Amino acid sequence: MDKNKQLYIRTAIILAILTVLEIGISYLTISRMGQIVLLMTFAITKMMLVAWIYMHVQHETKTLKWIIFIPIPAGILFTISLMYDIPFRWVV
Amino acid sequence: MNQQNTISIPTNDPFGKATNGKLGMWLLIIVDGLSFAGLLIAGAALRASSDSWPIAGELLNIPLTAFNTFLLICTSFTMVMALSSIQRGDEKGLKTYLLYTLLGGILFLGIQAWEYYHLIHGGFTISSSMYASTFYVTTCFHGLHVFSGVIYISCILWQAMQGKYSADNWDHVEILGLFWHFVDLVWILVFTIIYLI
Repeated sequence: MDKNKQLYIRTAIILAILTVLEIGISYLTISRMGQIVLLMTFAITKMMLVAWIYMHVQHETKTLKWIIFIPIPAGILFTISLMYDIPFRWVV
Repeated sequence: MNQQNTISIPTNDPFGKATNGKLGMWLLIIVDGLSFAGLLIAGAALRASSDSWPIAGELLNIPLTAFNTFLLICTSFTMVMALSSIQRGDEKGLKTYLLYTLLGGILFLGIQAWEYYHLIHGGFTISSSMYASTFYVTTCFHGLHVFSGVIYISCILWQAMQGKYSADNWDHVEILGLFWHFVDLVWILVFTIIYLI
């Protein structure tokens, strides 16, 4: 079996295991915030694996990598701008 | 005087060997990714400002959707194997793996339709609640992407059957792969936010 195929199979297995763990976490009786942080960490790890290995981002040039990843902080800024007032709702 | 004129061909250095088609697909993916981000963030903002929000596990079929997630991961694997095959000049491998990906995509859509059918018959429609609207709009938007992907794969598979692709000509397969992996990548986030959190 060639090296690429081995890497792709290993990635698929890791993605499947992470999915099973995510489902397990969703049934855990831990704090809500802890659950959200864990689930989002797993989801972002899975997304990075798909982009890095299956979409071959690892082989792209620095410029293209920047173009691909710049929208991520833009999305975070978008989230903050929409929900910046939420922490204050429980204070008032 | 014999002057030798040389024509300098502009190189695409900042993007390496990426073709215009591939760059175009990356731009589409970025814009599309922001569209999904808009939907998911709007859903999160609605949820955060809502007094009560249903627990997804009590309404939705999580094990079935988990299977669908696993299915999409498998199709990402078959898609990358299709590209790897044609890069080695294996036309039969390309066609086989593209066919597996196509069948996986169709099965994913079938399971999603089955899920919708049961939810709607159970009274969970798009106008039932804010949660239902968020659920249907986001998952349906993704479903339309899978549907587009299925049509796209069919076109490339048809061309592959005509013998269009070879070890020296696989750009279109790579571009298709980018789109399909993006569909998988977005589902990972949709599944986590809509079904698990």
